[in-house]
Amino acid sequence: MLPLTIDHITKHYGKDVVVDDLTFTVEPARVTCFLGPNGAGKSTTMKVLLDLATADHGRCTIGGLRYRDLPDPARTVGVVLEPNAFHPARSGRNHLRTIADGAGIGRPRIEHVLDAVGLTHAADRHVGGYSLGMRQRLGLAAALLGDPPVLVLDEPGNGLDPQGIRWLRDLLRERAASGGTVFVSSHLLAEVEQLADDVVVINHGQLVTTGALASLQRSGTTVRTTAPERLTQILERAGATVHRGRDGELVVRGMPIDEIGDRAHSARIALHELAAQAGSLEELFLDWTSTGDGTAGDGTAGEGTADGGTADEGTASDAPAAEETHTDREAVLL
Amino acid sequence: MTPLALVRAEIRKLTTTKLAWGFLAVLVVIAGLNAAIVAFGTDMGGSKAFIATAADQQSLMSFAFNAMLGTALFGAIAAAREYGHATVVPTFLTTPRRHRAVLAQLTAVAGFGAALALVGQALVVAGVAIALHSTSYGFLVSITALTQLLATTTLAGAVGAVLGAGLGVVIRNVGGAVTAVVLVLFVVPPLTAQLLADAGTWIPTSLFAVISGASTDVALWAALLGIAAWALIPAGAGLLAVERRDVV
Repeated sequence: MLPLTIDHITKHYGKDVVVDDLTFTVEPARVTCFLGPNGAGKSTTMKVLLDLATADHGRCTIGGLRYRDLPDPARTVGVVLEPNAFHPARSGRNHLRTIADGAGIGRPRIEHVLDAVGLTHAADRHVGGYSLGMRQRLGLAAALLGDPPVLVLDEPGNGLDPQGIRWLRDLLRERAASGGTVFVSSHLLAEVEQLADDVVVINHGQLVTTGALASLQRSGTTVRTTAPERLTQILERAGATVHRGRDGELVVRGMPIDEIGDRAHSARIALHELAAQAGSLEELFLDWTSTGDGTAGDGTAGEGTADGGTADEGTASDAPAAEETHTDREAVLL
Repeated sequence: MTPLALVRAEIRKLTTTKLAWGFLAVLVVIAGLNAAIVAFGTDMGGSKAFIATAADQQSLMSFAFNAMLGTALFGAIAAAREYGHATVVPTFLTTPRRHRAVLAQLTAVAGFGAALALVGQALVVAGVAIALHSTSYGFLVSITALTQLLATTTLAGAVGAVLGAGLGVVIRNVGGAVTAVVLVLFVVPPLTAQLLADAGTWIPTSLFAVISGASTDVALWAALLGIAAWALIPAGAGLLAVERRDVV
């Protein structure tokens, strides 16, 4: 059982702060998805965790040890990081052999992982002729070579066909069920919704929220009223995140349901509906990462909940106007 | 992750692309050119006096500097392409103590460089020996001199490969690394020789002349140390850089 600990890491590239005092833990026996807009700092965080980049401050550990101090990294952590980390003129099998040779892994294991990812038929072809999905499968095969208890995967589902996505999901769930630590970044929110036990959301290098996905999804409130604009202003001024749902209803996060009712009552605003809502991850993601100017992420969303707290503790981001939210949603899906 | 396993992985990288074969093809062409010069070339007076003595023939076959240049390019490409293709990422994930992986890479390219240079020198010798049959001169170079020639060129191949790989690790870009090799071996030596008194003794061509027995400008051990420095300085810079810089 090897937890991953990200402890107050900060990373600058030049004058840009890419990761800013980021702290969270990835627990074993869970699938933890790492979410954030493009440029939020997810890949950099993973690189710091894997000692491929050095943090300016803070420390990352895997089971209490820095990556470089692991006695057998290839058999401890499986990694998918760079989507095209292959020599195009090398065959898939030879790519795996170069890794296996260095890690002291035998040839039978290479054949096993090639078979597991469905690449045996193309193993002797040059990687330069592989499709994106085949390259992704080869990357996954490399990650699984050492049969590691920890998986750190950056966008592993990119380019996979539906069967591949299903296979990957089953694999990751199986790994977590057997006590493994699975840490996956992804933009495929529908897939994350099916896969994740926990999520960690960052924006502009800062933690936005972390916790169990199920409890985070239950954190919204649906409100129907005849004065949505006025109520939105009141609730946002009080620190809540508000956006319009698909049917024109308001979806409020970051404020308890009774407080929403009390504030509406105080403002003499009639409510036609006030109900706890099980929001989609897509809506949650947009709430967590959108800004008032309609662009993704300002990094000023509420306090992080590195202790695994509920969404109420960590989702008070600036709310976008409803139209802007929909624009953001389309951008994310594209 | 024994050192041997890491070297094996690096050798696997070198043998599973066509890079080494490309350089071998170049060596065959060079050997062919040398043979053609012997078979068809003449000096200004129309004679073949340039192959008349053992010293002339040895000079014609001397391949050490060419080997150093060729293997330096080989080492530079082999090391720098790792960064270009990001294949260095799985390497450093397997071996997070990065200097160990780079040492293994330097060892592997040194071995390959030595082998390529030896094969190149052997091809040149064979080409000249065969071409001499078409002339009125025999093969005059003694076995001792021939052995010294082969040993010097093999050393030059290893030195060149390590020099190139060191530059490749520092620069991390194939075009930049190749340019650096050309600058270091073609521009820096004559420039240094002109600017600093006695510096000409320590440029690769002078040092190889001493090692191959063609010159006695400095002692053999000093020449060996001098030529080693040409490889070890860029290799050391590469080892330092790889530990200090982010990988990606």
